[in-house]
Amino acid sequence: MATTTLSPRAEQYQRSWVLDWLTTVDHKKIGIMYIVNSFLFFFAAGILALAIRSELAVPGLQFMDETTYNEAFTMHGTIMIFLFIVPVLAGFGNYIVPLMIGAPDMAFPRINALSFWLLPLGGILIFSGYLFGGAAAEGWTGYTPLSGPTYAPGAGTDLWIIGLITVGTASILGAINFIATIFKMRAPGMTLFRMPIFVWTILVTATLILLATPVLTAGLIALFIDRNYGGSFFDPAAGGNPILWQHIFWFFGHPEVYIVILPAMGVVSEILPVFSRKPLFGYRAFVYATIGIGLLSFSVWAHHMFTTGVVFLPFFAFMTAMIGVPTGVKMFNWLATMWRGSISLTTPMLFAIGFVAMFLIGGISGVMAAAAPVDFHLQDTYFIVAHLHYVFFGGSVFGVFAAAYFWFPKMTGRRLNERLGKVHFWIHFIGFNLTFFPMHSLGITGMPRRIADYDPTNTGWIILNSLETVGAFLIAISIFPFLINVIATLINGERVGDDPWEANTLEWATSSPPPPHNFDRLPPVRSERPVFDLRHRHDAEVLTAEGLTAEGGH
Amino acid sequence: MRRMAVPHSLRGVLRVGVPLLLMVLLGGCLIPPEPETKESQAVFTLYNVIFAMAVVVFLAVEGMIVWSIFRYRRKDDRLPHQLHGNTLVEIIWTVIPTVIVLTIFAGSMITLGTVEARSPHPAVTIEVDGFQWNWTFRYGTTDNDPSNDYSITGTPAKPAVMGLPVGEPVHLILKSNDVIHSFFVPHFLIKRDVVPFPDPNHHNELEFTVTNPGTYAGQCAEFCGTAHAQMVFQIQAMSRSDYDTWLKDQISGAAKPSATAAPNAQVVKISADKLKFSTDRLEVPAGVPFVIEFENKEAVQHNIAITDEGGKELFRGDIIQGPQTVKYNVPALDAGEYTFLCDVHPTIMFGTVVAK
Repeated sequence: MATTTLSPRAEQYQRSWVLDWLTTVDHKKIGIMYIVNSFLFFFAAGILALAIRSELAVPGLQFMDETTYNEAFTMHGTIMIFLFIVPVLAGFGNYIVPLMIGAPDMAFPRINALSFWLLPLGGILIFSGYLFGGAAAEGWTGYTPLSGPTYAPGAGTDLWIIGLITVGTASILGAINFIATIFKMRAPGMTLFRMPIFVWTILVTATLILLATPVLTAGLIALFIDRNYGGSFFDPAAGGNPILWQHIFWFFGHPEVYIVILPAMGVVSEILPVFSRKPLFGYRAFVYATIGIGLLSFSVWAHHMFTTGVVFLPFFAFMTAMIGVPTGVKMFNWLATMWRGSISLTTPMLFAIGFVAMFLIGGISGVMAAAAPVDFHLQDTYFIVAHLHYVFFGGSVFGVFAAAYFWFPKMTGRRLNERLGKVHFWIHFIGFNLTFFPMHSLGITGMPRRIADYDPTNTGWIILNSLETVGAFLIAISIFPFLINVIATLINGERVGDDPWEANTLEWATSSPPPPHNFDRLPPVRSERPVFDLRHRHDAEVLTAEGLTAEGGH
Repeated sequence: MRRMAVPHSLRGVLRVGVPLLLMVLLGGCLIPPEPETKESQAVFTLYNVIFAMAVVVFLAVEGMIVWSIFRYRRKDDRLPHQLHGNTLVEIIWTVIPTVIVLTIFAGSMITLGTVEARSPHPAVTIEVDGFQWNWTFRYGTTDNDPSNDYSITGTPAKPAVMGLPVGEPVHLILKSNDVIHSFFVPHFLIKRDVVPFPDPNHHNELEFTVTNPGTYAGQCAEFCGTAHAQMVFQIQAMSRSDYDTWLKDQISGAAKPSATAAPNAQVVKISADKLKFSTDRLEVPAGVPFVIEFENKEAVQHNIAITDEGGKELFRGDIIQGPQTVKYNVPALDAGEYTFLCDVHPTIMFGTVVAK
């Protein structure tokens, strides 16, 4: 058939690059838009974090009143989770997963574009409360009855609900797309147990999203009905149950924690082997641990509710303790990957090691809070704020930056400046620990979270809070070398070829940046490290170790 | 600049001592407050055991990371041995965390039994009402004897004080009529949510035995709206005899009869609903006592107090929970402008009194 030849008038259909990006269904462009959009929301929510930390630097109300403060931490939490960490990791997934499995695009390119474009819409809806009498101010958890019609009558909470439903819909569509892509579009030879770990973590994450997010959406719709049409799902005065909201929210909310951390674990599991020049230790165990975490994550939600007095403590305390096991296995696997490796401390490696070192602290504090009687003391204090930031920030965000430095050459053909990258890492690392480590101490000594003001006679609290504020501004400062690096590199960065890191996985087997159709030809896939195999195809010793014979045809 | 001569032995001590001191300081910041109840002593022990395990795991893993970074830095282009895994090792390090978390779980369940134990005859039973944004403590409401009833409602200026006897089990009934609050006393290492359950007879409860006399700060720990940070209270634990005297004083102090109004005094009406007064301006006669008829229309605590421009309190009406109407007898005010406010919600419920 001759229909494949381009029409001679093809150039007439060429559009401006703006229109091209706005209408694209290419997973790579969509992935980059996901990442850029997420970082814009990251900066917005980061400014809110600085506002919160400024207010808390010393006791008393200096910069804002209580309502403004409550709006600030509500918006900070909501935006950081729903419009930064989840979508930025989905963005890397979008760009990298089809390349890693040797596919030309996602399974449903147009749904892919839709699930991206819903994100800025949802984010704007959530923020737009500020224009309509005040944003939602009930915390990102939106506990009822506080978020009900009586105690939060403003439009901000309705916009928050609608925005979250929009973002949730985007997530669900994206999850379906990932699952279909991973199951149906793998290159020949790419069996499930030869998939890169990052793809595995995205697969488990997508499954969690698919099972958990609709539950939150249902809860949000019920809350919307309560607020606007006189429903009483959560209104105790009418026989509704406010604790029901907590069950619904955390049935989604706890898998959500793993939705946020698993892809970052995947990133780290790709980066550590590359810069240690060793395969990931215990690949299969790692896959089983990922699946195990996914399964267990649906049975631990009520550990967020130990102090409500109406959950069955032994069950949830037991399951919560058990979820520490697969996480511990992963930790050991990462250590063993670096053990006796040949470690090169590039910026992506620094961030990946930073992830392991910081996520460890979040994991330990999580196990501490899993002991129900200890949680009675720690729940809703700054200890929990410290814990969740060591998981979300020390974990996921370190993973995000590791991914950014690692795959930037893939996306642009240029490597980010290493010196600026290291400056970024160290300021970021120090600022992060200065901000969040003292929070453990604040919480243990009894400072509750979500308070705009605290005891002015407590000198210890004042010192720690001031330190944290300094740390928060250090984190903000550390973003500048990163931004300068990105802009300078895009304009005039070092061109580094297709595979600057000597990496392992299939995305490095094509050009950097890849052509629109991704691959001109695919190397054979005989292990989880096809590009490594290709690089060492004449190295008999390595091939024997890999359990492979000499190069085969395809 | 000449280097200071430090003896070798001292330098050695410093080299080991300073990091050790830092670690002890850091660790010291991670120990809970001195436990002041029988139950919290069990929690304190459990916490310290878990914390010790946490420190060991932390040092071992972070130590491994740092060791690997230094020991296995890339020196040449040689490919290290391509080790894919080791089943025995992997089984061992699945078992290690399993044993750790099961130990913690077992310890938790044992401690939980102590924390949740209930005595058949608690010495004191107190009703704790959390509301936006303060606390009311009610004594003697569980028997049918009104003569020993006493209640106190906190205000941002004057937090509620809960007097308690030491050495005897105290039972709290936690009630809320609006949103969820949480009763948290850091020195007791415990909090329990104060939940408006749909069943009006279902309440969370808390029981503990204070071991040492003293004053302990408490605070709402569940975010409950605008002035959540102001929901503080105090616990004053004292010996049994001091407690009996304290309670008697409170009961007689609270029952002080208010002055009767002149029969022809002018009556000014005002009501409160949905955390708002019905008006922000009260006009009253100057120079003579008058009556404020205050109707509280909602199940939230309110009162009316009058202050002068400098914030000095001239009159303070009793705090009442609605729906209820009271008559406050207010002493004479000189001509001029004053502020009236609700002591419980001073930041959002206030207005002007004009005396002329």
